[in-house]
Amino acid sequence: MTPDKLTDRIGDVNVAGPGGAPPAGDPVRQTVAGTTRSGRGGGEAAAARALRAKRFGQIWPNVVALLLSAVFIFPVYWMLASSFKERGDILTKDPVFFFVPTFENYSRAMGVDLFWTYVVNSLVVTLGAVALALLVALAAGFAIARMQFRGRRAMVLVVMMAQMAPWEVLIIVMYLNARDLEMLNSIFTLMLIYFVMALPFTIWTLRGFIAAVPKELEEAAMIDGCTRTQAFFRVIFPLLAPGLMATSIFGFIMAWNEFAMVLVLNKSPEASTLPLWLASFQTQFGNDWGATMAASTLVTLPVLILFLILQRRVTGGMSAGAVKG
Amino acid sequence: MSAKTPDVVAAPDRQREQGRALTRLLPYLLIAPAVIALGLVLGGTLFRNVLISLQEFGRRQLISRTTEWAGLDNYVEVLTNDRFWSTLVRTFVFMAANVVLIMVIGTLCGLLLLRLGKRMRLVLSISLVLAWAMPIIPSTTVFRWIFDTQFGLVNWLMRTLGFSGYDQHNWFDSGLSTLTIATLLIVWTSVPFVALNLYAGLTTVSGEIYEAARMDGASAWRIFWSIVLPIMKPFFLITTFLEIIWVFKAFAQIYALNGGGPNRASETLPVMAYVAGMGQQQYGIAAAISVVTLLILVVAMSFYFRLILKQEKEQS
Amino acid sequence: MKRKLMAAATVAAMTASVAACGTGGEGSSDTLTVWLMTGSAPEPWLDELNAAFEEEHGVEVNVELQEWNGIQERVTTALSEDGTVDVLEVGNTQTPAFAATSGLADLTDLKDQLGYDAWYESTLATAEFDGRLHAAPWYTANRAVIYDKAMWEEAGAEVPTTRDEWVEALQLIEDNTDYEPIYMPGQNFYVFAGFVWDEGGDFAVEDGDGWVGTLDSPEVEAAMEFYSQLQSFSDSPTDNDEATPQQATEVIPQSEVATWIGLPWQAEAALDALAEEGRDVDYGYFPIPGKTADTLGSVFLGGSNLAVAERAGNKDMAVEWLTMATSAEWMTKFAEATPMLPNQEAALGETEEGSFLEVMGETAAYGEFFPLAPGWANVEVVPNPIKEMMTAVLDGEAHESAAGTADAELTERINRD
Repeated sequence: MTPDKLTDRIGDVNVAGPGGAPPAGDPVRQTVAGTTRSGRGGGEAAAARALRAKRFGQIWPNVVALLLSAVFIFPVYWMLASSFKERGDILTKDPVFFFVPTFENYSRAMGVDLFWTYVVNSLVVTLGAVALALLVALAAGFAIARMQFRGRRAMVLVVMMAQMAPWEVLIIVMYLNARDLEMLNSIFTLMLIYFVMALPFTIWTLRGFIAAVPKELEEAAMIDGCTRTQAFFRVIFPLLAPGLMATSIFGFIMAWNEFAMVLVLNKSPEASTLPLWLASFQTQFGNDWGATMAASTLVTLPVLILFLILQRRVTGGMSAGAVKG
Repeated sequence: MSAKTPDVVAAPDRQREQGRALTRLLPYLLIAPAVIALGLVLGGTLFRNVLISLQEFGRRQLISRTTEWAGLDNYVEVLTNDRFWSTLVRTFVFMAANVVLIMVIGTLCGLLLLRLGKRMRLVLSISLVLAWAMPIIPSTTVFRWIFDTQFGLVNWLMRTLGFSGYDQHNWFDSGLSTLTIATLLIVWTSVPFVALNLYAGLTTVSGEIYEAARMDGASAWRIFWSIVLPIMKPFFLITTFLEIIWVFKAFAQIYALNGGGPNRASETLPVMAYVAGMGQQQYGIAAAISVVTLLILVVAMSFYFRLILKQEKEQS
Repeated sequence: MKRKLMAAATVAAMTASVAACGTGGEGSSDTLTVWLMTGSAPEPWLDELNAAFEEEHGVEVNVELQEWNGIQERVTTALSEDGTVDVLEVGNTQTPAFAATSGLADLTDLKDQLGYDAWYESTLATAEFDGRLHAAPWYTANRAVIYDKAMWEEAGAEVPTTRDEWVEALQLIEDNTDYEPIYMPGQNFYVFAGFVWDEGGDFAVEDGDGWVGTLDSPEVEAAMEFYSQLQSFSDSPTDNDEATPQQATEVIPQSEVATWIGLPWQAEAALDALAEEGRDVDYGYFPIPGKTADTLGSVFLGGSNLAVAERAGNKDMAVEWLTMATSAEWMTKFAEATPMLPNQEAALGETEEGSFLEVMGETAAYGEFFPLAPGWANVEVVPNPIKEMMTAVLDGEAHESAAGTADAELTERINRD
């Protein structure tokens, strides 16, 4: 996959392990690289130059990253800050940056009837849809990546085209189908729809990750007496962690935040979800921005938690994935 | 991602004894759930969408559950409407600008993530994830607040910095300026996807490759062109493809900012379909717009399909 | 009074008594689903009404409060479902649209039971379509001018009785103080409508089988001129309406506005928000002045009707609830609890002098409606061509060209059902 020369090079650069074995974590990788570099530098001047370049190369990325982080987080910060502001401090001609935080917006937002029903519904719908998508996509992705069969190309094409589905425009049609099949006001209908919405992307991505696992690994496992199924779960599956993370975050965010479909399909408050709740603080009699932002913050939180959990798992998965390098 | 030798079942001899029929059936069994789900839910919906596009279908027909066939009337109405064509052009220009920005900024962010230390990387990734995860209602609201005429942060900032004329500056007074703000919003929400996935992909490439290349004196630019790009080619292909589709379909961000205004000058095709469907409750027209849009998109992307299929072939 | 106490006790027990209520024996469902918009009905009134209803009929009433966001879609789809909603609140400008779909039950034969003859004639217009009754009028409210007494006094301005005096007063505020004389967003289309009717114009006229937009007319142009004159006193942008940002709760508390035009509950909301900011404001109210002193300005009689869904799960009980809610007895209580005008004169109690309600009572006689076409609902939906026209004219486009564009769009929309 890469020029052989380079791969060879890695052999003598890498001090971490024999024969291109995986460096444990990223920081380690960097220190290792750093040491080798200065060690190999030769002349004093070259070393100094390298050091200067390195320092220069270390500061700027951090500065840029800090600026970028600020840009990306600002709207989120503003949402968070607004959620702790008194009503009169949220929309002002001169923005309020310093204020005594109030928790009233949160208690008002969480104090609505059926709040916990929405939480449970959202969790069931989202987790169910993501789990279903992962399961079905693993099977399909494996078949596409690893097997030859008639119709494989057609399947690839279908998966690709399915990502073009204009879901927002199709809401009314889906509503009609659900109505005629008597599937309205059901969180399982929502789960099914979100599952299908996430499916094409999930298949596509997992297929890529499965294809990237060297076939030799699987064969080796089978030589060792594993069945194909066992080989899949013991060898391939652990290597799919980054793919599973990317797809489950994608599916989670999509299903967790979906609004328009619930609005039309599930009119019964018992079958409603969090995005509807978060929209309910804007009325024709006045917008309760404080509660809206408090609700939004609460809705954003689980995604962050999910990311942090997966992030840790993935580091392991990634270094394992480096084996094939 | 690596080039593989084509083999189906690597060593049939060593495989456990299984009926040949089952082996042949296995791939079909594996794809069956996906095919059924896509076929029933998506296929069924698309099919009915086509049927509705051939009907006079509005509020009355929806409520009274009547079917009134209209032949190609809806298509004729859509295709003979000048606004449809100007909106189509606008949609493509908007999409192209957004995708270029998303891919460039996303790639730079992804590469930057790779170069950062552990702590700084976590900071940037969390910012990115939060931007991605923020629900659409608060994100459009906050962006409206940032650019609001009376209470906007930008106007406040300009005033504070001493620029005149920003007391009540209207950032939404033309289609172009509205779409520029929509671009900011869409790029802001979309970059994280590209950056985080590129980073995830790049980490599967051993870091020593870059180090080695760097030691050989390769510039960052060269490393990108001759190492990152070739390795990540499938990633760039598919991500660009996805972003094209997603931006093309983007609706809520544009609609929530200014309702497609002023004077419908910031309307893109999905907004137009929404205004016709959900707004005017002309579901037949909206269905026709969506069918035409989909066909145009398929044609426009056909070269892309071929590219990806070719890539697919190389991989297997 | 006795009822109120009883209600208080019943409300608490309501959820618990649900199971016990299932003995009605009608065979159909023993709950009734009522859709009301948030903020329409005062909670104590609603609780009391439902408790009384439950006691009389043994049917539990399930009120689901609906949000403005996406309501048209929700109502449309709900009306196509069996048994999703029994009674629903429909905005009066939307009622003809839904009546035309046959989604609302025909109440014509129930006129006597509903007390048809007691209703205000003016509000009835929107509930009838093609000579059939499809809804019962519930409440209306109209706009009045709200002014800050202290600011007006400081400027030496007096309550006007004509448009000219009004403009003079605003000019005084502009000249003598630093206050914003009037807050007038560029797209306050309901206020603008009043000016159009003052000129004797309208938005569309019937022409043969259909309707034709009449924005490109001398009357609408004159109305727009007056609107521009008022708007020039305001710091507001020309492309926003009174709801974004919300004038009462978001703009007024943040600015020094001497005058604005709003609805009764908006005045209350603004006073609350001002108090929260630590500002003690004393508001006075006067009707939107007419062109001459012997008349008042026309106002849009906004409000809501109550209707029964054709596909209601429990139509008989739905009709009973609707009858009860709109009856003289319960409308009287309603009028006591809200600043809205009830559907009949008998229900209107004493009004406090100088109150918003008093002003609203005065102007009710000058109330007008938009064209009663099923397609009118399409016109008001975003992007509303009339609002686009207003912004264009305020930004300097010639009336003729802006109105011409808007007329084309309006005509197309209003002729669709």
